[in-house]
Amino acid sequence: MSAAANISAVEVFATSKIFNQESDKQVDALLDVNLTIQSGEFVSLIGPSGCGKSTLLRLIANLLEPTQGSIRVNNKTAAQARLDQDYGMAFQQAGLFDWRTVRKNIELPLELKGWDKDKREARAIEMLGLVKLEEFGNMYPWQLSGGMQQRVAIARALAAHPPLLLMDEPFGALDEMTREYMQGELLRICAETSTTVVFVTHSIPEAVYLSNRVVVMSPRPGRILEVIDVNLGSKRNEQTRAADGFFRSITTVREALRGTHAEHVAANAIRGAEDR
Amino acid sequence: MTILSRAKNIAAPLIFGVVFLALWESVVVGFDLKPYFLAAPSKIVEQFFKNTTRIWEATVVSGTNALVGLIVGTILGIAMSFVLSRFRFLSQLVTPLAISLNAIPIFVLVAVLNNMYSITSEIPRRFMVTLVVYFIVLVNVARGLTQVRSIHVELMRSYAASDLAILRKVRVPNAIPYLFTALKVAAPASVITAFVSEYFGGSQNGLGSRITSNIANSKNAAAWAYVLGACLLGLAFYTVSIILESLTRRGQSK
Repeated sequence: MSAAANISAVEVFATSKIFNQESDKQVDALLDVNLTIQSGEFVSLIGPSGCGKSTLLRLIANLLEPTQGSIRVNNKTAAQARLDQDYGMAFQQAGLFDWRTVRKNIELPLELKGWDKDKREARAIEMLGLVKLEEFGNMYPWQLSGGMQQRVAIARALAAHPPLLLMDEPFGALDEMTREYMQGELLRICAETSTTVVFVTHSIPEAVYLSNRVVVMSPRPGRILEVIDVNLGSKRNEQTRAADGFFRSITTVREALRGTHAEHVAANAIRGAEDR
Repeated sequence: MTILSRAKNIAAPLIFGVVFLALWESVVVGFDLKPYFLAAPSKIVEQFFKNTTRIWEATVVSGTNALVGLIVGTILGIAMSFVLSRFRFLSQLVTPLAISLNAIPIFVLVAVLNNMYSITSEIPRRFMVTLVVYFIVLVNVARGLTQVRSIHVELMRSYAASDLAILRKVRVPNAIPYLFTALKVAAPASVITAFVSEYFGGSQNGLGSRITSNIANSKNAAAWAYVLGACLLGLAFYTVSIILESLTRRGQSK
């Protein structure tokens, strides 16, 4: 990991995203965002609803095109990185295909890469082992619990061994207990596969527990307010959640977010005063 | 527990049916209704077993018309739904037409079609069934091909999948339950259309024309016996469509 630490996995240069430009439905989602993510890093994007964190993730994934600026992934254009399947993606919903077994779901990205059947099957079984679902390969997704489905989605995202994993609130729909378990599993999996992760979340403890750096974003139009380093070491476990450093980082992130909150309240108060 | 509830599910309608038939029989006998007014169930059953061969022949004629129309209509409907889901502007042109055609009882067209073919031709009837089935299949399958979950499309795009790959791996599997829903509606509709088409002339060999000719001759019980045959045929089509559905479902929920 340390050897790869100086290679950037994601570079975002002066990027803005405006939806429905020059119409009355224009939305300025992102404004002048600059961000560099090193290879092997775990970076969370956090901010209030509608702050453009999912938009930023989709720009990195090349599912959206930036209005201004440029994005490089793995030292390629974002478009080329998508064509090369340099990243895997997981969403809040597992988004598994009901008509495919768990194993066949994991094989899907490999099918699209043109892998032959034996190779696909071997890799899918390996991935099932990684997410500890060995005995569920022949079941259908709806026979699994929400947390298990999400683990399948992670296995699918990592099946082609991409260097980068993009996650959009992947644990948002899970209960607290499952969520903490999944966070631990994700860290273990990422350490085993030395994958770089960009992780969108609403949850401050989640962001702090998982990340090397937390990117705090402002309400719309989304800008980066602060990038907070989390120094909790590389080995994190249940004790980490009780450590002083953990709470200190949570407070730092909260204050950074509240700064945006205070601005927001002030702006609304002024607007309210003007209305009167 | 489940066996009990299943038994209940079967027994309840069965008892209802028996009571209904008994009531019917007793009304006909009790009020001494004349056979040309309303035939008693016992007479209908008697006629049914007396005319089994002829009812069977008529059933084969109507059933073949329905089956041919069902198969051709389904194939054409599936083919067209692929074209429409590929070229959205075409669907904007065709959808209003499909809806307006569905709004009128289109089997009256069979009267027009009859004039285009020889009087003994089965083609107008089969064509009519095809048309009815075609629209049912077209509307449903096109919906299944287009209404896929956005997360699935986004995921496929993140894999740099081509449109063809998205069609094969997402749209087609998504449309399969829609196809069987369409068939469940289309199978009985094809039988009904095949019967009704016979009311507009042509050769007097199917169940529909036998019903009318028996009524015209005041053979009410015989007419009802053919109705019974028609019921059984419709039921057979429906049952097959349900069996096909459960065979292909492969344990999918939702």
